[in-house]
Amino acid sequence: MTPRAEWDAGDMGCGELILELRQKMLELQPGEYFLLIARDPGAPEDLPAWCRMTGNRLVSADHPQYLIEKRRDR
Amino acid sequence: MTKRFCVSLTYAKNDTDKATVAFVIANASVASDKESIVFLSSEGVRLAQKGYADDIHEQGFAPLRELMANFVKAGGKIYVCSPCFKKRGLDENKLVEGAVVVGGAKLVEFLSENAASVSY
Repeated sequence: MTPRAEWDAGDMGCGELILELRQKMLELQPGEYFLLIARDPGAPEDLPAWCRMTGNRLVSADHPQYLIEKRRDR
Repeated sequence: MTKRFCVSLTYAKNDTDKATVAFVIANASVASDKESIVFLSSEGVRLAQKGYADDIHEQGFAPLRELMANFVKAGGKIYVCSPCFKKRGLDENKLVEGAVVVGGAKLVEFLSENAASVSY
């Protein structure tokens, strides 16, 4: 479960956060892991929702650290 | 779950807070793999003019010009209400990237095919 990449998003949140996250995860291969650090107070609700909608898997969430596995079918 | 999402925006410099938040939500939509549009009507159509949004930067948010460009770059479309655009004498040759002037039928078609929408 070693992340292929990680990103400290600081206080970025909402649409700005997930759009940037999406861009960064495009660089990963399916099944690779991404470690995100997001301190925005909305992140604990937003990131699970984003993963459900996009098919990426939220492996662990321990605010502000989120480990995400890129979906395996694209 | 619906795959289409519309953000309707009727403000420009008369409420830069609403204009900015609308595009932040639009960015959330396009980032979530939704077919996404921002529908600009009433005063909102001014945002479709190149250069107009360049000096809009709400505290705590990215500059509006950047939010708009990122939305389009990620695949979002900006629909611009034709009568609102014409009423204000704006120039269709100076549209921002990703913007297209449309009539009501285009919006109705989009919304009628299982889309969700939020308005600002």
